[in-house]
Amino acid sequence: MEANRIGRRTVLRTAGALAAATAVTGCGTLMGTGESRGSSGGGKKRLVVSNSGGAYNDALTKAIYEPFAKETGITVTTVNYQSAQIIAQVKQGRPQVDLMDNTLLNFQKMARLECLEPVDHDRLKSVKGAGIAEHNLPEHAVGKNVWASVMAYRTDSLKRVPKSWADFWNTDAFAGPRSLQSAEADLPELEFALLADGVPLDKLYPLDVDRAFASMSRIRGDVKKFWNTGALPAVLLGRKEVVATSLWGGRADELIKQGQPVAYQWNGARRMTNGWGIPKGADNTDAAYKLIDFSLRPEVQAAFAKLSPTGGPVVPAATKQLSDDVLATLPTSPQNLKTGFDADAAWWDENRDAVIKRWQEWADA
Amino acid sequence: MAGTALAPAKVRVKTSEKRGHRSRIALVNAVPVTVFLLVLFVYPIIGVLSLSLEGDSGGFTLHWYADALSGVNLSVLLSTLRISAETALLSLLVGFVLAHAIARMRPVFAALAMLIVVVPHFISALVRTYGWIIMLGEHGILNTLATSLHAPGAPYSLLYNETGVVIGTTSVMLPYTVLVLQGVMRGVDGRLLAAAAGFGASRFTIFRRIYLPLVAPGIGTAGLLSFILCLGYYITPALMGGGKQTVVAALIDQQVMQQDQWNGAAAFGVILLLLTFAGLGVLGLAKLRRKKTAARRSSS
Repeated sequence: MEANRIGRRTVLRTAGALAAATAVTGCGTLMGTGESRGSSGGGKKRLVVSNSGGAYNDALTKAIYEPFAKETGITVTTVNYQSAQIIAQVKQGRPQVDLMDNTLLNFQKMARLECLEPVDHDRLKSVKGAGIAEHNLPEHAVGKNVWASVMAYRTDSLKRVPKSWADFWNTDAFAGPRSLQSAEADLPELEFALLADGVPLDKLYPLDVDRAFASMSRIRGDVKKFWNTGALPAVLLGRKEVVATSLWGGRADELIKQGQPVAYQWNGARRMTNGWGIPKGADNTDAAYKLIDFSLRPEVQAAFAKLSPTGGPVVPAATKQLSDDVLATLPTSPQNLKTGFDADAAWWDENRDAVIKRWQEWADA
Repeated sequence: MAGTALAPAKVRVKTSEKRGHRSRIALVNAVPVTVFLLVLFVYPIIGVLSLSLEGDSGGFTLHWYADALSGVNLSVLLSTLRISAETALLSLLVGFVLAHAIARMRPVFAALAMLIVVVPHFISALVRTYGWIIMLGEHGILNTLATSLHAPGAPYSLLYNETGVVIGTTSVMLPYTVLVLQGVMRGVDGRLLAAAAGFGASRFTIFRRIYLPLVAPGIGTAGLLSFILCLGYYITPALMGGGKQTVVAALIDQQVMQQDQWNGAAAFGVILLLLTFAGLGVLGLAKLRRKKTAARRSSS
């Protein structure tokens, strides 16, 4: 979840048409003196970690970075680089971070581009016997927390509860405008279109792209807005612009807290895992492994889950330390695990460019 | 007569000498800026240019330009141009009325009015978009009002289509057009208008024959400025547009951030830069023509 695509930084970055393009050549050389890398030498140890910032960073700091510093004396400095920036840095010869927090999908891409160090899972004590799912332990990364794209709807506008994506697609029985995610924000929600079309959960991948777009075309007339920034769907829902939408799990919490008639539907949720990856050429690996190991302890996993709706633990033991209230909001609670599915990072990495291209053509037609 | 004709000539020699000295100093003063621009602007642009001409496995290619100018990419480029042109026109129209009003206000009120035009742009784009939803949304102020008045066709869809985008981008460009136009309007000599009125010209004729030609350079500059700014604008079209209002800057963002396609993004960047230069060229030509006609008039 390289969330908040259209944050203030993005505005700055893309303010001029060329700003993004100039950054190509500018950043690599100019930012060399910027956020200096944490070297293991000297008195105080430092580790430079990238993540997507915002509330996610706040929760990580409280649940992981600060307790980690207290225990090991290694302070974590965070920077807000997205994977594209770090890939550019690696290609320039020197990454500006020691450790990245990003989606496993982006790590798959980075591994393909040979921008990641392989991860030695045997060096991690917390992994051994922890029962972490296999797809969360790829060769070049370590899964840490699971988030999800889910359905949210207005309980006052819809007379019945939409129980599935098929109901979401059924605009006769559940009338009203909707919104879905655009390819500009992240992976388009082809899986939801397929589920609505009757494909069973365990037969989704490899995705039937033609069938998915045909299904998307059916609902397109009722989709008021394909949202392209994480905060937008909740705004649309709150202002009654739409009666149902897909959104990143947790994004409607604020509305519900305010007492708005809004609820989540976890059935058919698409899970994605965020994790750790070490950019190629990073030379602070000892400290990096220590932080990875620390973050996978059940109590640390549970602490993060309590603070962030994106904090679905990858370690099953952590769920035992969480109350039912917290579990209900997490993608990896025993209940939600059953009704949702994991996005196939390998399939998406292979097909993302083609799907985005197709999406652009479809949206423009 | 001879004396009076000579005197200005002498003065002119002196000033040109002085000017030569001054320009040499100016040249020295310009060194830091020049170096700054060369390092931070020209060098990256050359980098972008070479990136846009580089094949996947090195070597020269025009493939990225062909790709940028065909299929859906071309359609995005055209809609970017269309949205920019619509925005430029609308912001000129609204900006003209606003600037005209502000130019005639007392300084205190004028400053206050400018503040009202500019301040919303210090607010985060997302918050501003939220504001637009409250104003223009299906259950927004405007539509609620229209429906309660039984206006035909209400509620109107004012968001997530081109109308929404142009409303949004126009509001963003308004400060620029107002600032430029207001500056020109303040420079208009009121006596000329009074003289025209004294000769019996109607208000419309005064506006058309006197006022408009006097502020014309400002109109050109303001229109072009908002057009150029709009070409590279991204956030408002993304938040207030629908599927068909994708703009080039959004494609660049996607190519770089998601697809690691720097070459294609660089080609788009260069195309936008060329379009900007083309716009500036048009403005320069217009200025040149105005100067020429002015020179011809004064010589005849």
